[in-house]
Amino acid sequence: MIEQSAERLFAGEVTRALRMRFEAGEFPQALWQLVADQGLPLALATEAAGGIAASWADAYPILRGIGHWQVPLPLAETMIAGQLLSMAGLQIPDGPIALIEPDVAGQWVLRHSAAGQRLTGRAQRVAWASACGWALVSLPAAAPSVAGRILLVDLRDAASVHISAQRNPANEPCEEVALHGAPVRAQAANPLPALHRPVRTLGAIASSAMMVGAMEWLLAQSVQYAQDRLQFGRPIGKNQAIQQQLALLAGEVAAARVAALVACADAPDVAAAGCASTVFSAAVAKVRCGEAATRAAAIAHQVHGAIGFSQDHGLHFATRRLWAWREAHGADAWWAQQLGEAAIRAGSAGFWPAITDRHFAGLDLRSAPPAHPAHPVNP
Amino acid sequence: MQALRIDPCTLPPDLLADCAALRQQVRAFLAEALADFPAALRVRNWSGHSPAFSAQLGARGWIGMTWPRRYGGQARSPLERYVVLEELLAAGAPVGAHWVAERQSALLLMRLSPDLLAPRIVPGIVRGETFFCIGMSEPDSGSDLASIRTRALRTDAGWVVNGRKVWTSRAHQAHYMIALVRTGAPGEVRQAGLSQLLVDMTTPGLTVRPIVNQLGEHDFNEVTFDDVLVPHAHLLGVEGDGWAQVSAELAFERSGPERYLSSTQLLLEMLDAAAGGQGGPAAPLDARQAVALGRITASYATLRQMSLGVSAMLARGDNPALAAALVKDQGALVEQAMPDIAHDLYGGLAAPGSALALAMSYTARAAPSFSLRGGTREILRGIIAKGMGLR
Repeated sequence: MIEQSAERLFAGEVTRALRMRFEAGEFPQALWQLVADQGLPLALATEAAGGIAASWADAYPILRGIGHWQVPLPLAETMIAGQLLSMAGLQIPDGPIALIEPDVAGQWVLRHSAAGQRLTGRAQRVAWASACGWALVSLPAAAPSVAGRILLVDLRDAASVHISAQRNPANEPCEEVALHGAPVRAQAANPLPALHRPVRTLGAIASSAMMVGAMEWLLAQSVQYAQDRLQFGRPIGKNQAIQQQLALLAGEVAAARVAALVACADAPDVAAAGCASTVFSAAVAKVRCGEAATRAAAIAHQVHGAIGFSQDHGLHFATRRLWAWREAHGADAWWAQQLGEAAIRAGSAGFWPAITDRHFAGLDLRSAPPAHPAHPVNP
Repeated sequence: MQALRIDPCTLPPDLLADCAALRQQVRAFLAEALADFPAALRVRNWSGHSPAFSAQLGARGWIGMTWPRRYGGQARSPLERYVVLEELLAAGAPVGAHWVAERQSALLLMRLSPDLLAPRIVPGIVRGETFFCIGMSEPDSGSDLASIRTRALRTDAGWVVNGRKVWTSRAHQAHYMIALVRTGAPGEVRQAGLSQLLVDMTTPGLTVRPIVNQLGEHDFNEVTFDDVLVPHAHLLGVEGDGWAQVSAELAFERSGPERYLSSTQLLLEMLDAAAGGQGGPAAPLDARQAVALGRITASYATLRQMSLGVSAMLARGDNPALAAALVKDQGALVEQAMPDIAHDLYGGLAAPGSALALAMSYTARAAPSFSLRGGTREILRGIIAKGMGLR
């Protein structure tokens, strides 16, 4: 049901022209409205909050669809915000919602004043901030008064919200957000206390599913192109050199898809406390999908030759998203480090049981280094 | 394209508890049976040969556990079998003696000779006492299996076989071979005229000579057939249908967890080296080692789910040939990357004679075979390309 409505909507509405207008700086407001009318942004939210209360497995086709049709909307972000806000019993505002979960908690401060609660802090690489009226801020480690809480912040207050205009390789907003006493509409405890970093973890799962969608589209396009493009009097796909590359691409896509599906199956829905394997499977998916994205983009471009490097051809809509999303919510190297440290601490005796349990003791991201540090490399 | 999809396997609730209990039983057994089994032998993984160990598994009912009771099996779920297999392989247990017989030979016997050969031979496989080898490759036929020249001629006394098989693993320790032979002319289709015969390895005229591999081990053999007489009843399936039968058999040969777990002991040694070399479990860990080992961990978790997915396809009766080729290709990449990653992290650093150094040396030398045995990487990718309509 979700799958069909998402596919019909994306396939019909997300045209090349729409993507090009987005690249030129126009937010696809009409598309967002259609998506919202279908209820997709609230797919993961509770029914009490007007959502569908879908499981992540049920919502997977939406996330995959964002990649497959290269949908230029903060839909995954809003879905995650909707799940967390509604589980915490908070009202979900209209419109897209950005996600902020700072790595370094030090300077995040919540002040109470006559005008209400005001939040101050700075975060890097916030996706879609300038397109969103609201942000869900998750503060896993912060001053004790706000640690482990989620806050709904009004980003429309120009006096207290500063957003730097930056974009990722897909031309999606990916911005530094500085809050100087920004208005907080509501706050609550993290409704998924088993996940120390709910946004990082669920965001990694969403990015993984989105990458799978983009890679599945790349694979189909590449196979089709190899069958259509004639050189030396025959389709280039008749060459074993091309066939071997496409077979490898198929293997990467199959592996990434399985990893993303398992991560979705292991993610909690609004009812479930089922978080035992969530971080493990999120880490596995983000690492494996990130690696696959790197290889898949390279193979797809090589098979397409010069035409795939042109702006007219649409290949770049998918490959640029892969290069953007493999960095989002912790790059594959960051997640690999967390997974590797847990594996090393498990040692030869604990490694295999952890693989079969899909759970490493200590893989909780509590002591993880910043994935997107405040003082980035080469600032 | 649909056929390339592998869906993660969701265990039915009624199997969850059974599988968990079975896993604990296997782990308890392995902890005891392999208590003194050194890393030097665990590195061999499923190449390790121990008839005594195979008999121990047989006694516990852990060989052929999915097969019908009339052959000694227990009619259990393929997913329960998967649990046993992956636990054995992850522990580096020496399962090589019975591996081929259980993985593929018995399946052929039960399918193609259910009332004559299977009742005679399969119970011995279940007990872990009867071992098989596979007679496919020949001196001039490797990837191009349809070009084999070993011939079987039908006579009144039986099939008379002449020819030569090479790279026949464990022929010197096997009781039987299932041989692919030419029984008719190729005709228009090169794959026509092939048949499979069950050959008793003690038959007169059959000679087994060792081919020592680059590890210095005797695993491969050359098997020469010189007027070897095989009873008529030992023709498996239908004369001339050998190619289709072998294709189905190869799907079983490619589908299991042994296709990604071969380098596990080296991974375990690296994990301990990364922990121990840093001043104890509380010390901060080296990021470079953690990232590299984390990437392998992600691949293991993913390949396990893919492999389980193929197992579920088999359980449902779906054709897993394409998916199995895909998982084997992905699995071999990880198995073969292991010694290179170990070299990158610990090359020139591992203490000589340590388990880590030994595992690095062994796995580096063994790894080239991982993308050759059971179908080369190029053949597998050709199968995948065909599945995508490219050939």
